[in-house]
Amino acid sequence: MDATTQNEGRVGPKGLTHRLIEAWALFGGVVILAVVAIQSISVVTGAFGHPLPGDFELTELGVAVGAFAFLPYCQLTGANVTADIFTSGLGRRFQAVLVFFSAIIALVFSVVMAWRTWIGTQDQFSYDYQTAILQIPIGYAFVPIVISLILVAVAAVVTLAESYQDIAHPSRNVYH
Amino acid sequence: QEVTLKLHHFLGPKSPAQTQMLEPWAKSIEEASGGKVKIEIYPSMSLGGAPPELVSQVRDGVVDLVWTVNGYTPGLFPRTEAFELPFIHTNDIRATNLAMRAMFDEYLAPEYKGVKVMFLHTHAGQAIQMAKDEVRKPADLAGKKMRIPTRTGAWVIEALGAAPAAMPVPDIPQAFSKGVVDGALIPWEIIPALKLQDQTEYQIEGVNKTRLGTTTFQVSMNLDKWNSLPEDIQKAFLDNSGEEWVKKAGDIWRQIDENGIKVATDAGNKHIQLTQEETDAFKTVLEPVVDRWVKEVESKGIDGAALVAKARELVAANTGK
Amino acid sequence: MDNSLFLGLVGLGALIVLIGIRVPIAYAMIVVGAVGTIALNGPGVFLNQLKTLGFSQFSKYDMSVIPMFVLMGYIATRAGLSQDLFRAANAWFGRMRGGVAMSAIAACAGFGAVCGSSLATATTMGQVALPELKRYRYSGALATGTLAAGGLLGILIPPSVVLVVYAIIVEANIVSMFAAALFPGLIAVALFILVIAIYVRVSPESGPAGDKLSRAEWLSATFGVVPVLAIFVIVIGGIYVGFYNPTPAAAVGVALVAIYGSLRRGVGLKDYRWALLETAKTTGMIYLILLGAELLKIFMSRGGVPQAAAEMMVNSGLSPMVILILLLIALIILGCLMDSMSMILLVMPFFWPVVSELDFGMDPEDVKIWFGILALIVVELGLITPPVGMNVFVISSLAKDVPMGQTFKGVFPFFLGELVRLALLIAFPAISLWLPHMLSN
Ligand code: NA
Ligand code: NA
Repeated sequence: MDATTQNEGRVGPKGLTHRLIEAWALFGGVVILAVVAIQSISVVTGAFGHPLPGDFELTELGVAVGAFAFLPYCQLTGANVTADIFTSGLGRRFQAVLVFFSAIIALVFSVVMAWRTWIGTQDQFSYDYQTAILQIPIGYAFVPIVISLILVAVAAVVTLAESYQDIAHPSRNVYH
Repeated sequence: QEVTLKLHHFLGPKSPAQTQMLEPWAKSIEEASGGKVKIEIYPSMSLGGAPPELVSQVRDGVVDLVWTVNGYTPGLFPRTEAFELPFIHTNDIRATNLAMRAMFDEYLAPEYKGVKVMFLHTHAGQAIQMAKDEVRKPADLAGKKMRIPTRTGAWVIEALGAAPAAMPVPDIPQAFSKGVVDGALIPWEIIPALKLQDQTEYQIEGVNKTRLGTTTFQVSMNLDKWNSLPEDIQKAFLDNSGEEWVKKAGDIWRQIDENGIKVATDAGNKHIQLTQEETDAFKTVLEPVVDRWVKEVESKGIDGAALVAKARELVAANTGK
Repeated sequence: MDNSLFLGLVGLGALIVLIGIRVPIAYAMIVVGAVGTIALNGPGVFLNQLKTLGFSQFSKYDMSVIPMFVLMGYIATRAGLSQDLFRAANAWFGRMRGGVAMSAIAACAGFGAVCGSSLATATTMGQVALPELKRYRYSGALATGTLAAGGLLGILIPPSVVLVVYAIIVEANIVSMFAAALFPGLIAVALFILVIAIYVRVSPESGPAGDKLSRAEWLSATFGVVPVLAIFVIVIGGIYVGFYNPTPAAAVGVALVAIYGSLRRGVGLKDYRWALLETAKTTGMIYLILLGAELLKIFMSRGGVPQAAAEMMVNSGLSPMVILILLLIALIILGCLMDSMSMILLVMPFFWPVVSELDFGMDPEDVKIWFGILALIVVELGLITPPVGMNVFVISSLAKDVPMGQTFKGVFPFFLGELVRLALLIAFPAISLWLPHMLSN
């Protein structure tokens, strides 16, 4: 599935949401690229006996932030794998009901997870969790993760709305 | 009425830490309580999460008890960290365990929020294990890539003029065999599990088994859980986690460490104990690490100098006990 | 029945129902893990664990190679490496009968050496090789079957994202896993080429010979593989000889493919945008399933399920080898319904505790490596078996004129070849183990 075709048919507030979530996924990608750069530089300087201090912990923080930023995009583009084996023969309307049900799970999960991770963020700061070498407060990595989880919830609402439309008017939308 | 408690930790079910320390400890408490308490041990992070989370898991009541390394959560236990500095713990595990216990209420308690600490302990301390290089003086480590054990362990390596490399423990053998690191600061105890006898040639420690700093561990219970326990069960815990027990824990870790070095020497490795003079040369070079630490914890409002002084005094007073 | 076993069965049943009604696999695992944990120990335990679980799972250092190898594969897709590989392979094999198909297999192997994913390999090589196979009048079945099978080399030859995930779940050394996969992967290449040779002998019209090249063309085509070869040697070779561990190696791989693509192939911002978004989908999907697997593991551990299941297997009186083969058969059957990554993620937390208790007269670390390679083969078979065979789907979507039934038919001989290879690897663990042993000494 190509990313650009997904955007078609999503205009107005939905189109805006899509662009926002896509931008957030690209932000995650850029963070991964930054980790790639840190690791690559550390390989080169390490060959001369001076690996970048803290490359290990920067990788852990960077990949966590980057990978979480991918989740809203996965929800929006239906990238989370399903086994279609038992249901592919069913009608479009019934399939939409199943998508609706899955979107509810995604919504509940992302809201609960965002709430708990936010509490976790406060713990990180109040107990002074930090990385070993660079002593970066780990709470800073939690903040974009909470944003990602809120965006998963937003994406789940979009999926919910779309599948609801499909249930009401099964012919109008081709659901991916 | 039986109470079942879950004890969570990060090592495997067959690790000496579980079979030789945690299981006997749990058993002694179960027996002392007359069977009223049952401690289920969950090894290998099987109740989920990563090792740095053990502290928050016990504090939040996700599990009832944990055994963990204080250094997995840098920043959380700045006071106890004094015992990890070079030449605070020297060569007597019992003495260091007793000193931590004696200092707990007055000096260390504030940083153990939300938990009831059962006991603190250390292992035998960081020794130098080298792939190919014989080390007799600090200059022998200049420019060598060394795997760091703890946050302050990284400072030790820097002070010795070597390059610190961070990596998970399971990656150490590979790192050794491929020259990613030239050596590691790590106790003998780890040798059998990682088959380090195959990857290293030299095992080096100071005079009379003196080590270059150590790692501290805690066994702690969720505070609410502790407060909910009837007095007789609390007593069973306290009676089996006191001075006698931390001395015994010291002996256990000494034995685990001895088993480790035996594996290395049996495999033909060279075990070097430095002379007093050579050890003192390391002490001179590493003293600034202690100063650096005192300065750093000052910014958190902690009187590091007093902690170091008291720790040294108590370790000395308990040595040989 | 034992309480724990009952609990495990209820959890498994709920999981199957949820997956059956099209709930994404990750969410099915999350729901079962969450509900199960809450049922056993109350909501407080679960909610408090969630405070840090997301971060701790996503920040695991070993997992950082996943987005990097995935990204490397997607950039390689846009960097034209696939054309180079196919041209070179064709220069060598093209003029034999069935040679264009053999070239496609060799090129798939080459692409698999820089790409950790089966689907990406099938897609990329399909785009390059299908038009050529059509030009030389290869039968639709052989052409599409070859590419659907060739795609498997993406995960059979290291780097392999599925292997990384296996290593994370069973706590194996990733380097050992990559080393163990190399020779079995090369055997797969040889067997696939053999399958094509037999295929065109039985049915000569399905794979005619290609053209003979001039010496100059032959040379230029052959030298075209130098960049791919160089990247493989630096990245995977660097891991084998221990210059670095997999995470920096993967980073260097991304950098090299990007530099080559940008400088020589005009890979631009638009391509990077595409590669990053595709990486987002693949990585996000894998990470979310790993989070689900962790929640499921927590529930199962709290219920004592793994120990109970392992105990039951060990006490069943069946020999370890019979149990192993039963597990592999279960994986092949499951593979008909699911894709390889989800299967490893879903099933290994159940299977590994059982296998680790079995005594094969081998070192436990060796069993871990060996079983991983066997499991890798059977789960990737799921990619070419009906009804859900992702590689076949992908190739069908590229070759619209070939009915999917033809593709399944064309891939069947390769499936048989894989069964032969599986039997070899079960009978001779040394094929998988000797390289990791050599590297660690
Ligand atoms: Na590969
Ligand atoms: Na299949």
